Amino acid sequence: MTAYSLWVMEYAAVPNYPQSGLIYGMHNQGTRKLPYCYIVIKGQGQIAMVDVGYNHKAHGEVLANTYGVRGWHPPREVLEEIGVKPEDVSNIFITHAHFDHMGNIEDFPNATFYIEERELSKWVWTMSLERRFRWLMLGIDPADILRVVDLARQKRLVCVDGDRENVLPGIDLHAAFDTHTWGSMYVTVRNDLAVNSENSWVFCGDLAYTYENLRGHQPNDPEYIPIGLATGSQFNVIMTAEKMVNSVGGDVHRVIPPHEERLKDLFPSRITKNGLRVTELALAAGEKSRVG
Amino acid sequence: MVDNATAAYIVETQRCFEDLKQVAAQLAGLLVLAAAGSKEAADHPMLGTARELFREANDALRCACPTDRARKHYVQLVRAASEIDKALEETSGGLKIERILVPLRAGYAALECAADALPGFEKVAYARACCGAARFPGAHAP
Repeated sequence: MTAYSLWVMEYAAVPNYPQSGLIYGMHNQGTRKLPYCYIVIKGQGQIAMVDVGYNHKAHGEVLANTYGVRGWHPPREVLEEIGVKPEDVSNIFITHAHFDHMGNIEDFPNATFYIEERELSKWVWTMSLERRFRWLMLGIDPADILRVVDLARQKRLVCVDGDRENVLPGIDLHAAFDTHTWGSMYVTVRNDLAVNSENSWVFCGDLAYTYENLRGHQPNDPEYIPIGLATGSQFNVIMTAEKMVNSVGGDVHRVIPPHEERLKDLFPSRITKNGLRVTELALAAGEKSRVG
Repeated sequence: MVDNATAAYIVETQRCFEDLKQVAAQLAGLLVLAAAGSKEAADHPMLGTARELFREANDALRCACPTDRARKHYVQLVRAASEIDKALEETSGGLKIERILVPLRAGYAALECAADALPGFEKVAYARACCGAARFPGAHAP
């Protein structure tokens, strides 16, 4: 059985992103397209997402004009391509608190948000440090923190402490502390709902940007190569990669990095009228293809 | 392009802007703790840090000399400081979230307006984080 339909939804992209920012050590080796995506999980009477993208109203102009981010479209237009409305989304798993992953909270008025408690508490701790430690605040938008306050007041914030199984049937949250950020998490979907699943997927947030992070440059001689940015340690990033790959039975392509453009070469996909890609990983019974 | 006097104003007030943003973030962080049920939030040492940082930023702001080009930015910065000051005052009676949140939101909104009014004021340190590598080869990914 296939319990959930799974889609990777592109909402913006950087056409020419330096490879050195994605794969440790790839200095002066050119650029590649860096798509910005979130994940939609639909089935069992629920619609869930992994991350929600950034708030264009607050950041769009700077990101477009200064950093080359192109083609941003709001969740309502992006999700429409698979027949989903933002208000229908019930559960959202935030892999980490960077503004391009949790900035669009306001667009999902009925969703409950899950985030590692350590991700929030360590950011708060970081804010108490003196100015010379400001690098540790990278990627954090104070406006997002204010939105989190609102979520908590509305009882729509769930602070997770470590791993949590079956947050929805067959969906598990896994802590990856002191890696890309203080309290990153990755999401496992056991798409047959079995305890020892043979149909698992991992949504890794920024714990891997590309498949090179998970299998190196030579597929016949794989190795883990760290991502370009870790607030925690690259050792922890590598050991988390091992955990993620093991949890999908060693099939690296079932670990889904949302910034990986080559998902299109592995799974059915199409380009929408807005020039954004929809990639279809799995279809639950009764769900029609959105890329056919 | 900005004239030399406005450029000097930008340099003069960048630190003030950063400090006000940091105070707003610190207060927001404490509200997250309070909203999540933490009993330590009301007596958190970061509250003292925020008050001290605000005092420094407010003193610096009073010394700033805006040009005509910078007037809108300065007005927003003053408004931000005023609202954040109100938010800080509200903390003296414990962390009553709603009473603090209203001026804090207004203060942060004013900071966002200030950032949009002149170059050189970033809401997020993009260059050191998200998309930074797209502008500065070798910097970091999101």
